[in-house]
Amino acid sequence: MTEVKVTTRRKSTGKREPKSSVDATRIAVVGIPASGKTTYFRFLSGHFGLNLPILYIPSRADNGSLPLFGDLENDVALEETTYETTDPTDPEGSLETTTRYYVNRPMEDRRKLWVELSAGRDEQGILTKYPLPTKFNQFVEMKMRFRYAAPEGEAGSRPMELQTVDEAGGIISDYFTYDRIWLDSPEGEVTEKGCRVIPHFDSWRPDRRDLWKRGLTLLGRFVCEADAIILLLSPALPSLRDQAQQVNLARGVFRYTRQRNLPLVIAVSKADKLKEFYGEVEQSVRERTFRSTFDTTDFLLRRDGAGMGTILVAQEGRGISTKEDVFMISSAVSTGEGHPLFIGESGEEAPNTGTVTMGVPVMVNTTLPLARACERILERRATKGA
Amino acid sequence: MENNGEEVPAPPTRERNVLLLDLSKSMFAPLPDPNGGGPERQKIEVARTAVFRILQDAATSGNLFGLVTFTETVRVPVPLGEIHRENLPYIENLISLLTPSGRSAIWDAIGVGADLLRMGTSGVQGNLVLVTDGWDNASSRFDVRMEPTAKVAAGKVDLVPYILPAHSRLTLRIIGIGNGDERDKGADAGRMNQFLTQLNQRAQELGLPPAYSFQLVNTSTQLFAQMVNAFVDVGYEDDRPIEELHPEELARHAANAARALKEPQQHATVARIKSSTAAAKAAEAAGYSESPEIEVDFLASGPGGPPAYLKERYGPLGEVVSAYLAGELDRALELIQRTQGFLPSVTRLYWEARIQYARHAVVEAARALLQAWTEAEKLPAATQAPILRRLAVLQARMQNDKETETLVRFIDETEHRLNNGDPKTRERLMDLFSKLMELRGTYQLTRLAGEGDIQDAAIKHEAAVEEVFSLLQDARLELASEGATVEGALDFIEICLAEMR
Repeated sequence: MTEVKVTTRRKSTGKREPKSSVDATRIAVVGIPASGKTTYFRFLSGHFGLNLPILYIPSRADNGSLPLFGDLENDVALEETTYETTDPTDPEGSLETTTRYYVNRPMEDRRKLWVELSAGRDEQGILTKYPLPTKFNQFVEMKMRFRYAAPEGEAGSRPMELQTVDEAGGIISDYFTYDRIWLDSPEGEVTEKGCRVIPHFDSWRPDRRDLWKRGLTLLGRFVCEADAIILLLSPALPSLRDQAQQVNLARGVFRYTRQRNLPLVIAVSKADKLKEFYGEVEQSVRERTFRSTFDTTDFLLRRDGAGMGTILVAQEGRGISTKEDVFMISSAVSTGEGHPLFIGESGEEAPNTGTVTMGVPVMVNTTLPLARACERILERRATKGA
Repeated sequence: MENNGEEVPAPPTRERNVLLLDLSKSMFAPLPDPNGGGPERQKIEVARTAVFRILQDAATSGNLFGLVTFTETVRVPVPLGEIHRENLPYIENLISLLTPSGRSAIWDAIGVGADLLRMGTSGVQGNLVLVTDGWDNASSRFDVRMEPTAKVAAGKVDLVPYILPAHSRLTLRIIGIGNGDERDKGADAGRMNQFLTQLNQRAQELGLPPAYSFQLVNTSTQLFAQMVNAFVDVGYEDDRPIEELHPEELARHAANAARALKEPQQHATVARIKSSTAAAKAAEAAGYSESPEIEVDFLASGPGGPPAYLKERYGPLGEVVSAYLAGELDRALELIQRTQGFLPSVTRLYWEARIQYARHAVVEAARALLQAWTEAEKLPAATQAPILRRLAVLQARMQNDKETETLVRFIDETEHRLNNGDPKTRERLMDLFSKLMELRGTYQLTRLAGEGDIQDAAIKHEAAVEEVFSLLQDARLELASEGATVEGALDFIEICLAEMR
């Protein structure tokens, strides 16, 4: 196969580039395509910068205070680096990288994201020059920086970094599903031969094979260095293939974290799509006095709320506790019409008609998996230290 | 013993078969049909049918096949080699043109057949089947001694040591047509028995297993029973080949199939399915069996309608299948009922059930199928598994059990499509299917376990799933370029595993 050239092009306005976070503790977020990784990162960034409220279900007795804070050293909330092949049909084509930085600012159109690109499109470089419907020609490395623990500044809190490979749910699924390609060091490389464990890999076009291999290597390296993993599970997958992909990914992630004794936290994303859970959300938004006592564990284990059946039961106590490490989240509750649900200043649902009020997106439990992951990392370090 | 202390060369990896077919003029003579239902059939007609069948099997199995015909001259119309499916029509045409004439050079034909199977220092390796209706009256090169101490005629070679040198692994099956007590009435039973006695003696001297038989047949149905001992099935109208399935359809099939494994109470038929690999191992352990081995064929539906030459390939059963496919169900039923006595019972009962089901005679169909299950249980292990699967597909259809039907069909079709390929690949996939089926057990425990034991059961089940998944990954790595059927089967298993949760 023809070797693909790699060129790096970083476009930025300089002053907005985030400060290096070499010491940051890294948490990897993984999930299949459309499991909610992008939404999780972008809305959560908004929360850290703009202090967007988060609804907790079941209700928390401590008024929802969590020791999670935005990184005051950086006005960049989120960093996305796009790895993109040039014309994918050109075997001589090169792989280019372009980095975008997001700052905390609500977008003018309230239905859009709550973080805004720091530069105009001209400054960002050209993205998706050769878009393919399934985006086989690109993937995006996402980094979100925040701090955990005491609020009084650097001395009392720790820099944390949440990472994922976006637009690459397929790569993530393949990497964890097929343990024959796992890397053991941050310098390791996934081989072409090893990739044959992926169904139909040999029948793919060379440029797609090359991109996939690079993506697997990138992912393998960063999860090698991760201090914890958050697994996003989507409970509302209409396609049986997607369901199978998610189950296989979950089983792979369990194997991976067990083998490496790595903290694992599970976030059942898009939980608002589950009817029973949505009922709790709706009531919480409409009745300010309502305190939800939703039994998450019962819903997940006995009523198969995550669609994981016996898998969660089998993992109970073997690296995770369903009660403490599995959360039902919704980064942006949907009105059911493809738009996020907003609450206005009064805390009630903002009207979708008439005068457009700014409102804020209704997020449910989004910070919980993150806080739990941080907590487990520190617990693990303390145990190791001891 | 000649091979004492010598290193025995490795046997060939593929089966090698040579058919020796008598084309002397007497093969034009008719063979009686005791059922009297149809017109009398000529010996050559019946023999041609057998050749069609054997060719078809060779093309499917990938085994090597050769054909030797003889009158006073010995000819090799099909040299020993692999029969490629695309060449089959030409060879079949050639067979249909074979016309009897002249006398019989039986010993010379056996000599030539043995030459085709000769492998240097490994001696003669393979199987010879001789079909003849006469006495040797034209051999010029070989002879068989009248008694062990006698000598062969001057200028001729003694056939027995010639076809059975040291290290040989030869089986010889002689099918004599007609009663041969009198010259010109049938095969020369006396000479054939002398020949076999000398072969057995020679084998004993060389320390080889005796594998030589002679059987006389007097009717066309007996000849079919000898040469066409088969279980044949055809696909259903709405069957779609694995390769044609869209990935999402494949996923739906797999999810359906997984339900058959997850809900054994609702899908009891699955419990009757046995793994081919396990059955073959059991058969090996059980050793030699006297029961005749039934050849199992599944003719998957393809473009262009039913397969050609059904009648020619499968004789009376082929006629039944042709009538069934043509929608002439009453005629098919009449024909299948006439096959009692010479078709294997399981074949007859299965087809009776299938035809009755097509006629919407559900009670009769169920009764026949029940009897077919009983007959199938008596079969040798090696052939039992694929037959049980065909019975299961019909039963699932009758019970409108789509899940079981999908599961069994997928396994069956995969095995059928891999028949032409590497046997190790087939065995590996069948083993994976078998392990998938075994997950029923651990999954059931997760459903039945009490509150306290449920986690233990879940852990055991997950460990079993991971073990199969691990084997699946190895198979993916090693069988990466084996084609669409293998990929489809692995995808199917992978999705089934995901569903077993």
